[in-house]
Amino acid sequence: MTMPTELLPIDGYTVPAGSVDELLEADGTPRPHVQALLETLQRLGPEALLEAGERRDTIFMQQGITFEVYTSDGARRDRPFPLDLVPRVLTAAEWTVIKRGLAQRIRALNHFVDDVYHAHEIVRAGIVPWSLIVSRPCFARPVHGVRAPGGVYTHVCGCDLVRGGDGLWRVLEDNVRTPSGISYVLENRLAMTRLMPELFAGHRVRPVDHYPSLLLEALRAVAPGVESEPTVVLWTPGPLNGAYFEHAFLAREMGIELVEATDLVVRDATVYMRTTAGLQRVHTIYRRLDDDFIDPLEFRPDSLLGVPGLIRAYRAGTVAIANAIGTGVADDKAIYHYVPEMIRFYLSEEPILENVPTYLLSDDKLRKMVLERLDELVVKPTSESGGKGVFIGPHSSAAELEEEKHLILADPERFIAQELVHLSTVPTETGDGRLSPRHVDLRPFAVFGDEIRIVPGGLTRVALKEGSMIVNSSQGGGSKDTWVLDDGEPGDFTPGTLPLRPPPRLPDIRYGGWHGQAQQQQQSAPPAADRLAGGEFPAPD
Amino acid sequence: MLARIAQELFWLGRDMTRAEQTARMLDGAFHADVTGNSSDGGGGVTLSWAGVLAVIGAKPPVPGEEEREEEDAAERIPPAYLGRSEIAPLLTLDTESPASVVSCIARARERGRTLRDVISTEMWEALNSFYLSLGHYDLQAALLTGPYSVYQEVKERCALFWGLVERTMLRDEGRSFLEAGGRIEEADMVLRMLRVAIPAGDSEEERHEAEALALLQAVGGFQAYRRSVREVPDLRRVGRFMLYEGAYPGSVASSLEDLRAALETADAAPRSSPPVLRLGRMIADMELQRRTPEAIGSLSELLVRIQDELELVDHDIDERYFAIAALAAVHL
Repeated sequence: MTMPTELLPIDGYTVPAGSVDELLEADGTPRPHVQALLETLQRLGPEALLEAGERRDTIFMQQGITFEVYTSDGARRDRPFPLDLVPRVLTAAEWTVIKRGLAQRIRALNHFVDDVYHAHEIVRAGIVPWSLIVSRPCFARPVHGVRAPGGVYTHVCGCDLVRGGDGLWRVLEDNVRTPSGISYVLENRLAMTRLMPELFAGHRVRPVDHYPSLLLEALRAVAPGVESEPTVVLWTPGPLNGAYFEHAFLAREMGIELVEATDLVVRDATVYMRTTAGLQRVHTIYRRLDDDFIDPLEFRPDSLLGVPGLIRAYRAGTVAIANAIGTGVADDKAIYHYVPEMIRFYLSEEPILENVPTYLLSDDKLRKMVLERLDELVVKPTSESGGKGVFIGPHSSAAELEEEKHLILADPERFIAQELVHLSTVPTETGDGRLSPRHVDLRPFAVFGDEIRIVPGGLTRVALKEGSMIVNSSQGGGSKDTWVLDDGEPGDFTPGTLPLRPPPRLPDIRYGGWHGQAQQQQQSAPPAADRLAGGEFPAPD
Repeated sequence: MLARIAQELFWLGRDMTRAEQTARMLDGAFHADVTGNSSDGGGGVTLSWAGVLAVIGAKPPVPGEEEREEEDAAERIPPAYLGRSEIAPLLTLDTESPASVVSCIARARERGRTLRDVISTEMWEALNSFYLSLGHYDLQAALLTGPYSVYQEVKERCALFWGLVERTMLRDEGRSFLEAGGRIEEADMVLRMLRVAIPAGDSEEERHEAEALALLQAVGGFQAYRRSVREVPDLRRVGRFMLYEGAYPGSVASSLEDLRAALETADAAPRSSPPVLRLGRMIADMELQRRTPEAIGSLSELLVRIQDELELVDHDIDERYFAIAALAAVHL
């Protein structure tokens, strides 16, 4: 056994000030739960990492796990999805906290969506102002008073979590519209077991590949009044959509039809799909496009991606839509601020996972404070996603600060300000086979059918540029396989907990197959001496 | 199964077969070209380049003819001076020309991408790496030095694809449409080749005997012919073999049989299905023709008739299975 002090595979590995590293202690020694992993990495050395990286790119190109980039001459090219080969590791204890915290949060968000379109209790209790709710762009008037089948609105959620310099997990953003990325979680794990099987030795990693079954189960569970097997479909905007890979992946894994708008039709407030044998009824639609586009009769009339009459069918309760229409109101960045209060109000519980401290700029006092501290804070537009328009104070020049100040003053309600979180780091291969710290976040995926189920781990996104905290893949981010170690916590199914079963004894099966076969083999292979003596084979001169 | 998906699968099958048949034919033409030049001159030149173009129905690479799109196929036969250096690249590499092998594979791969949830992962990977490998090749150079290896690769990759279909794809409706597309395209391509090789009203049979041989080589049926017919190949025998021989998988008769079987599996009510019924009539008619001794002239007429019928079958398939999807596209 090597001594821990010799276990440093990384020369000059310095964790950026203010952040914590998840695999290494502050003094550079490995944390106890990843000892074996770092030992293996050290033994393999940089060459093995580089070589595995090349194999990874070839395999991803061949499998078509790519995204399109624009080269300098304007042409579109496929690039392999950047998976970093060093996994991120969470202990079972950490995961239990995250899992419970997310389940609690999602339950509260689901209550909130139901409340917003029905009783308005949280408004009457004076916690969230009604004017703020109705002014959200994702507030969906057409579904006011419509109760989703099964009372579930947020079937698929992906909350973004970050870990600050104090080591605590916080929720940075909720995503209860159409979160994407789960396909990469599954493909990453598969790729890692093929590319770096050595790393798994000495660890028991919880499996993730049951996600499609969880999702299908949930989608079936919410199908409205069906006497036979419900028909579930996945609705994609089409092959040109950036996440088409994921749509096709999920449809394939669940064994359901991948439909486009032209495949669906509404007759008598019932949704059908056009098949080779005529129209067939659809019970649940897992849609992967925004509210705005789904029904040109109710939302944007210019949408070519929509199905006219879909909302009519939804109101009539003949079809379940996942996620439900109008859920966007719950993951708006201005509503985010109120989520801890929601948890207290609806569930009478204290929030397990905290928010990042957030300031609403419509409040005069807070706005004044924010404008003074603008160079320390992060400012985000409330209704954007994918890292668009995010302003990071400490990384901005004086001119940019001035410009942002004007933007805020012009329309304070469009923005929120947040304290900067020094994202935790994880060792990452940076192109030369050596490891350096890079900032990461985490998006676990939850499925809400009869109950809330969360796949162990989630998508870890990593900012591949040194010092950068922008992890979006559209802006140079990569991803990592995320391991949740299994140290025997009850309640979670793992293959390791199954009792060993000895194989059955089959005395009638003998080595060498059946009698006749063995005889034939004997006949066709005469002894070497016969062969040489006989005239069948010409004797060598 | 979704009508749109069924149509994509049908065309995936067509594109793959089209690519393979084109590669085989070009390979045959190259072979004929080389052997023709090395032996006693003109007499050995068999499957002419102009003939290949006529089979494909592609336009010759002559500038300034773009406006005459809707010409009759017969009129498109290019001037005799067009040869290997013009036509082979046009039908192999040209991404502009929809008939080229590269275009077929690019289309097939795009369809495969749309169909990733329906076809097996291994099929998709075979398609994708096929497409990528064509991109890696310096095809222009490969064509000049060793075209054999290029066409060999196309043939092998197509065989890999169909082998994976056989091994990994669920034998459901989708598989039937894929199969149907492949078979109808194969029947169509063989008919085109036969029609070019056996022109109407031509009595000079001997002149075409070598062409018959090249034709057999082009579809990869030379050995099958030898084992099945055991007589010297002449144009008439080869024509009959490629048309009627049910034991040879590339013949028109067995393509039509397979097409009918595929549609019968896919259709919920095959007994009232127009394409199945029409195919049944065609197959019976061909069987009758096979038993009737005929002159070479009437063979060429028969070819025209069969191809016309086949077009109607294609139309019927479109009407019965895919029209519902097209309807939606029109409404939008």
